Amino acid sequence: MSTTDYRCDVLVIGSGAGGAPTAALLAEAGLDVIVAEEGPWVDQGSVVPFSLEQMDRQYRSGGVTVALGLPSVAYTEGRCAGGGTEVNSGLYRRPPQEVVERWRTNWRIDDLDPDAIDVLAREVESALSVQPLPGPAPAPSERLRLGAERLGWTHDESPRWMTYPTGDSRQGQRQSMTRTYLPRAMSAGARLMTDCRVDKLRLGADRVEGADVEFTNGRRATISCRAVIVCAGAIQTPALLQRSGIRRNIGRTLAVHPTVKLAARFTDELNVPDDVPVHQVKEFAPDLSFGGSASHPGLVALALLDQWEDFRDAVVAWREIAVYYAAITSQGRGRVMAVPGLRDPIVTYHLTRRDRALLCSGLTRLALLMLEAGATDVFPSYRGAPRVKSRRDLATIEDTFSATRASVMTVHLCSTVPMGEDSDRCGADSHGRVHGFANLYVNDASLLPDAPGVNPQGSVMAVALRNARHFLAEGWSRV
Amino acid sequence: MPAISWPKGGVVSEQGHVVVTGANGWLGRALVARLAAPTDGRSDVRVVAVARDHLEGRALTEFASTFPSANIDIRFADFGQPGEFDQLFSGLVGPIEVVHTAGVIHPRHFSEFERVNADGTRKLAAAARRTGVVRFVHVSSNSPFGVNAITTDRFRQIEPYHPYLEYGRTKMLGELAILDEVERGLYALIVRPPWFYGPFQPARQTTFFSMVKSGRFPVFGAGDQHRSMVFVENLVDGILATRNWTGPAGHGWWVADREPYTVAEIVHTVGRALADEGHDVQPPRLNLPDFVGNVAEKADRFLQKSRRYVQQVHVLGEMNKTIACDISATTRDLGYEPRVDLYEGMRRSIRWCAANGIEL
Repeated sequence: MSTTDYRCDVLVIGSGAGGAPTAALLAEAGLDVIVAEEGPWVDQGSVVPFSLEQMDRQYRSGGVTVALGLPSVAYTEGRCAGGGTEVNSGLYRRPPQEVVERWRTNWRIDDLDPDAIDVLAREVESALSVQPLPGPAPAPSERLRLGAERLGWTHDESPRWMTYPTGDSRQGQRQSMTRTYLPRAMSAGARLMTDCRVDKLRLGADRVEGADVEFTNGRRATISCRAVIVCAGAIQTPALLQRSGIRRNIGRTLAVHPTVKLAARFTDELNVPDDVPVHQVKEFAPDLSFGGSASHPGLVALALLDQWEDFRDAVVAWREIAVYYAAITSQGRGRVMAVPGLRDPIVTYHLTRRDRALLCSGLTRLALLMLEAGATDVFPSYRGAPRVKSRRDLATIEDTFSATRASVMTVHLCSTVPMGEDSDRCGADSHGRVHGFANLYVNDASLLPDAPGVNPQGSVMAVALRNARHFLAEGWSRV
Repeated sequence: MPAISWPKGGVVSEQGHVVVTGANGWLGRALVARLAAPTDGRSDVRVVAVARDHLEGRALTEFASTFPSANIDIRFADFGQPGEFDQLFSGLVGPIEVVHTAGVIHPRHFSEFERVNADGTRKLAAAARRTGVVRFVHVSSNSPFGVNAITTDRFRQIEPYHPYLEYGRTKMLGELAILDEVERGLYALIVRPPWFYGPFQPARQTTFFSMVKSGRFPVFGAGDQHRSMVFVENLVDGILATRNWTGPAGHGWWVADREPYTVAEIVHTVGRALADEGHDVQPPRLNLPDFVGNVAEKADRFLQKSRRYVQQVHVLGEMNKTIACDISATTRDLGYEPRVDLYEGMRRSIRWCAANGIEL
């Protein structure tokens, strides 16, 4: 084991939706930036999107991570250069103005102007080429749209951070961080260290001095710097802070969008294994939203697994099946707890009674939508679920559903270091500086005070740009 | 009883009949009264008012006598009894419409739920199809759809069935029976009223007023649960407005006041209406924690599993729930516009009680 020291102005930990734009802006302003990324660099296109291989290479723990509770909530984290932006659906939503206003007032966040966030969101949209599909949506997406239309439910197409060089909707190129902000950061001089896990921050009384890191090959090193900006995502950011001894209002308020899912079988071969639907149903938003999930054959089998004895005959017809989800805004909260001796933190999540009722309502309404869209069989994902073939069968969902029997999962994790001036509740100030430290910042999804009710990457990036510029204008001169 | 104008399109052929089941009930009487007293002074509608038994028949005869110029024929059918109901339509000449308001919400015997709401509806709809009824309007309920998951949720026009206890289950079966008959060729539509109020109210509604008056109407938590309600005359408007629909059969619509009210707002408004009608009203003082409502619901579920029904337990168990619907599709499709709001409707109810010698 050898030790190598690195020095820089600013160490950015994590290279996803928070870290990459932060690194780009700081490097372009002339700062010497190191970006430490735990995962590898994986070229876009070198693995099939939404495949098991991708889960293995680009997700933490192969995509098998879980927040404990009744029920447990499975979640996924990207673990690669670019983080979650490399592996998610690419669906973009501008931060809703009313959500930004809610954050500003409820959490006493200074200078959080909804109009200014809107301007930043447009900057993100431009940088990531956010746009609608140039042609028809994948068939599972069209079915969702059709069902919503027949029910008179509001729906729309979510734009994506994709370009379509050939004009073919099926040949989009994801404009993730490895294609956008990370190249920008590196061409401005930032150094990206992949396969480099930060074990611990080196802390002084009220300052951070640097970090101890370990590379995948076992080599350890120390990075010294004048400021650290932690952008490791809503699970790893609080875990790192806690491992380093910072615990006040850190990791206590995890917020997610819990989802339940179902598989719907149609009469034609509509499955698109390597893409996801772009339509979302917003009739009941923000409390309840419906959309389409990845429907790789393995994931179709997973959706049928809860009631395998009754549903397994359908798996051979996976080409006729697509998987959909109902997501809720949850009043529950979770915790992230770093435990000495364990590499990964323990994560818990508690669904409230209201959350459970909403999940049931969401799943039932989604099943209705699928019938309207022409599904011949609907397979809700919970133990004891009925096979739904008609509206009459929907009534049996209420009798048999309970959240504890369901496969509840989420991909939107946030709020573990909420920003704001309410020091009783917030882990960081209005611009992400960790309370009690002069030069330690957080700048990722952890800062969003609660779940925004829409795909959060746009919100994460807009807030990251805001805070990075504030750091350059005011923070850097003080560190 | 003030005459109320017909809604747009509400014209019935002179040669036709409107068969009103449950005619002696709260809604049934309001509907018969409207059909019997059109604003233009003519009584060109032949109403067939269906009574369950001779006791009801006598009451209906007396009621019908208050509309001397109306053409009201009283017939009998007990939807809780075995047998078919084809004879209900025998001898009727011209096009026949049916408005099926008969139903059991607070049964004397538990089995009445299924016998009346499910079996009775199924057999009546089948008889209507065999007879060639031109339009069948089935009065359903919110109960087949249960309760809203959260206070801000609103039932949309089309919702999954999610029945609330036995009443909800049997009203759902009633709807499904109607839809089965639609498949066989019956032109049937469904209206779904939530909790209604207004003239011709039964005795239990008097209890509602007296509880509010004494400040003892139970309010759970902050009283922020939302409830859709419908003034009975608005409901009659909605039923008649189904005549504006020329689309396919099998559709259903919510008929309610414009917006749901919070329970706190309901109690406050009813108190204000009572005070403005000269009653002495005590401020609300029966504030219960939410769990009491949940306990009552559990007790109700337990009782109903053993096929028993206790009205007070059932009503209490429902009081901490949000049951709220969105009427925008009803306005869009039928031109339905609720004309009376809660305050005005409650004042009219209170005046009706006074005019009918009912002490509150």
